[in-house]
Amino acid sequence: MKARLVITPHLCTGCRTCELACSFTHGRDGKIGQSRISPLNGGFSDIHIPVNCLQCEDPACVKACLAGAISFNEKTGAYEINQEICVHCLACVAACPFGCSLVDNQLNIVVKCDLCGGDPVCAHFCPSKALTYKQLQSKAVGPK
Amino acid sequence: MVTLRINGKLVRAKEGEMLLPVLQREKIDIPSLCHHKAVEPYGGCRLCMVEITKQEWSGRQNMVTSCLYPAEDGLIIQTHTTALIELRRTILDLYLARCPDTPEIQKLAAQYGVFQTSYEQVAKPDDCILCGLCTRICDRMGFGAISAVNRGHKREIAPPLKNAPPDCVGCLACALNCPTKHIQYTDCGFTREIWGRKFELLADKQTGRPTITREFADYLSTHRDIPRDYFEQNDESHRKETALILGKIAVWNREVPQ
Repeated sequence: MKARLVITPHLCTGCRTCELACSFTHGRDGKIGQSRISPLNGGFSDIHIPVNCLQCEDPACVKACLAGAISFNEKTGAYEINQEICVHCLACVAACPFGCSLVDNQLNIVVKCDLCGGDPVCAHFCPSKALTYKQLQSKAVGPK
Repeated sequence: MVTLRINGKLVRAKEGEMLLPVLQREKIDIPSLCHHKAVEPYGGCRLCMVEITKQEWSGRQNMVTSCLYPAEDGLIIQTHTTALIELRRTILDLYLARCPDTPEIQKLAAQYGVFQTSYEQVAKPDDCILCGLCTRICDRMGFGAISAVNRGHKREIAPPLKNAPPDCVGCLACALNCPTKHIQYTDCGFTREIWGRKFELLADKQTGRPTITREFADYLSTHRDIPRDYFEQNDESHRKETALILGKIAVWNREVPQ
């Protein structure tokens, strides 16, 4: 079982530190990057949800990528976009049912969470420990 | 792993790997227009030529396109000899005769000291260098909507019979990856036009913003088993919906004692 980025919504204060950390980590050429994580309101005034790539088991982005640019990284357990192979057809952006493949309009690339190569910066900076990167004992099981 | 000697420096590379990725990894400035990692190498632009030799070749040298030549043990590669620079100047000179007003070609030619073509300019200049990257990417995506037609000086990239291509889905991969930005398209509101064919973009149900073309969504849902209704929302409203659903679960978890 790979380590996962665990989101605990009732601890999240909506401070948006994760978004800042993500933008500054993924910038290039003196520009900040598009944040892969977006803290949104969860429908109730005190519930904030940092929506991030869930690294699905059977991801729609990989199925939609006709150029074969998205591959699974065995080391980190993340699906990563190879920017050299990506042909910018935006199929993954349209296909992701959680909206976690994004277009970086400044750098003109398609981005998604790659868990920062096995050491997610958002989890380091989260002041309330709503985002943690840890080894899980078992898989999440859906309702029977 | 094999050992190469590039400009006198020993470099390790995987066996069978093409030379151009190795040169780019070593940060050697090799001009290349038609190379893309998503597709097989093609040798269309001829700008990535290098000079190769081996110790046992007794002084014989050969000029090859580095994107098409696999790495072998003991290969000695020169990337910037006088003959190579002269060759690249000639190729860029010929490109300038064909595409005199293309900024990408002008910039590259100026780097090699060519500012004006010494050949006769073609009657109807355009931006296409016929590298075939658009057709290769279209084939890689599985559509094959465009291809090179005619031969010799009449050669050009066009859809079948120069009509609106029936297999095109309007993904814009050809236009966005064109090294000289020759392929024209219009993307205005909910209509997109490329290769003379008009496409209608799907609208997001909540915000009313365009997502992808109807044809592309149909292709992905039939060939790749992605539910069709995924494409009727853009990424922003997908994220909002995810937040609302996860918010409900969070409230439910809070109210139900563990």
